[in-house]
Amino acid sequence: MATRITDVHGHPSCRLHFWWMLCAVFVHLEETCSSLEFVWNSSGFGLFFNHEQIRTMSRVKRRTTHPPYWHVLKNNQRDDEKISSDNLCFVREVIQDKYKNKSPIKGSDLDIEKTVWDPKTKRSGVIARNIGVQHMWEKDGKKVICTVLHVLDNHVVRYVPPEEYAKSVIGTKMFKNRKPLGCLVVGAEAANPDRFTRQYCSLFDEVGLLPKKRLARFIVTPNAALPPCTPLTAGHFVIGQAVDVYGKTIDYGFQGVVKRWGFKGGPASHGATKFHRRGGTIGTGRDKARVWPGQKMPGHMGSERRFNRGLKIVRINMKYNIIYVKGTVPGPTNSIVQIFDTILPRRRFTEAPPHPTYFPPEDGTLPQEDIWDSSLHVFGSPSISV
Amino acid sequence: MLRRAVLQTFRQGLAQSFFKRYAVSLTETTVTHQPIETSNEAGERSVPTQKTGDESRNTVVVAPPEFRFMYPEFLPDPAMETRNRLREKLERMDMLQRRSVIEIPEFYTGSIMAVTVADANSPNKFARFVGICIQRGGSGLRAWFILRNVVDKQGVEILYEMYCPLIQKIEVLRLERRLDESLLYLRDALPEYSTFPLDMEPERRLNNSVVPINPLKVKLRPRPWLERWERQNLQGVEDLNLPQRFYDKAEKVAKPWEKYDLMLHYRKTIPAEEQEKIFAEIHSQLQQQELKRKLRRRRGPDNEQ
Repeated sequence: MATRITDVHGHPSCRLHFWWMLCAVFVHLEETCSSLEFVWNSSGFGLFFNHEQIRTMSRVKRRTTHPPYWHVLKNNQRDDEKISSDNLCFVREVIQDKYKNKSPIKGSDLDIEKTVWDPKTKRSGVIARNIGVQHMWEKDGKKVICTVLHVLDNHVVRYVPPEEYAKSVIGTKMFKNRKPLGCLVVGAEAANPDRFTRQYCSLFDEVGLLPKKRLARFIVTPNAALPPCTPLTAGHFVIGQAVDVYGKTIDYGFQGVVKRWGFKGGPASHGATKFHRRGGTIGTGRDKARVWPGQKMPGHMGSERRFNRGLKIVRINMKYNIIYVKGTVPGPTNSIVQIFDTILPRRRFTEAPPHPTYFPPEDGTLPQEDIWDSSLHVFGSPSISV
Repeated sequence: MLRRAVLQTFRQGLAQSFFKRYAVSLTETTVTHQPIETSNEAGERSVPTQKTGDESRNTVVVAPPEFRFMYPEFLPDPAMETRNRLREKLERMDMLQRRSVIEIPEFYTGSIMAVTVADANSPNKFARFVGICIQRGGSGLRAWFILRNVVDKQGVEILYEMYCPLIQKIEVLRLERRLDESLLYLRDALPEYSTFPLDMEPERRLNNSVVPINPLKVKLRPRPWLERWERQNLQGVEDLNLPQRFYDKAEKVAKPWEKYDLMLHYRKTIPAEEQEKIFAEIHSQLQQQELKRKLRRRRGPDNEQ
């Protein structure tokens, strides 16, 4: 991805000759053909500004505090009703009766078509919670930071075939000029139906699942489709594979220009009057004498969708459904993230992973509880001697 | 979840334990290690080993209260934003795994220790360093301690991560405590207070159930110093003999109200109930490891040939 070259201070005297060459390279790298600004100033240096890309990005709405209009109302809007304790017990019994016989069934009972994996298959992803960071050591003694991801109780809610999904709001945008793919709706974190609205619970009623707090869509190829009620666990992934993790970054709130954009601000002393963490100049006076859209200024920072790509899975704990990935993921501790197989071309699967997902073996043998990558030092093994 | 009654008992118990461990007296001050079946002494926080009323089937094993001083790294970082019970539990399991391979002995700030580390650049591939522990910190697998020594008139400090697999051996040559939790002032003290022979032999303790407090008062070099020691309420330093203006300024910037700030202390510590749960969880495993090591030591000359 080409980087933006924006000049914050706008002083012509700051220009260096190497910007010429850098901008020339920048032109080749760019995909969209954007108009370049070429300004001569009095000192004779050339100035290249590409403001087009900034303009497009500044118009994009990056965050909302409300869900999309096609979502049903989720949380119960009733105030705490004054129900007597007897009635409360009765309500709980009703809920239990409703969901008692419809417990999600193990993989062997589901009629899953035996599909073949091929390198172009897109498997389902998984909803997990980022529960923190743990330090581990590699076999040569090097310390690595690993993020601990707890795969919640994921169940497939629905599969939308490609033809149908291509007609939906998001599907039309996504598959405008390419072949449509299917969509798996996965839910995680079962909760008491009392806290949700009837419309929201009805999404799960057809399937017989307890309503889930979190829902996510994963784009899958038709051969990786899964029937509703399929559980997804940590075993869905393979040790050593690379994953992409999507999350919403830490919300820093309204932040100044130094923290948000990395400006240097002003001198702390030496007589600086009220200029320590400010932005300075916001434009030239010469041509296009106005503030360009996308000018870096204070504002809301964080709480944005980000993907950390190519993170290696170094350890899986099947008992607690925990995945350890090498590196960090977007978002604060205890936030929800989505994990999928990586799209990075050099780190994709060469061998077939558990396709379409992992199912415990039918003969009842328990899987190995704690699986480590070969590069990591297992804590129970003897100390490393170099 | 500030339950005042429990907090009171916790603080009482803490005060009792602290008093026992930190009391400064002219005679030898000692700290008792209580046996596992704790007795209900007067004034001490009662640690029940059996639930009264229920039959002996429901025995609740509770670790001795000293565990919070012997194994402080098992307690998680109190900052609520990053806490997660499941991750902490998994980390504790990993810590116990590591402890089953290597003995990480009980030590305190002021103990003299020797650490052997695998080092590719050393002649025998192992590097051994002897020093006094001046500070310890971190929680979980990130726990660390700093050893200080003066080698060839050069002060050297090394930070070791307790659970790093490169560490081959941690020995405590002299187990004792000082009057302060942090001995960073040794950097400004006369070098003889930080010098320990590199070939020091482990000292045998006369009384195994007692961790002595060394009431040594250290002499500092003349100023300038690295920190403003007069502002830190140090017990283990001789009278600083500074001009009065230093003490006046120290009083001005002091925060005497902090010792009354209950919420501040609550946020900085793990609640007593949780501490009990955590140590009860690891107690039996640590005991087993201790027993195995004792057996190995007894059989040592026969086994090792």
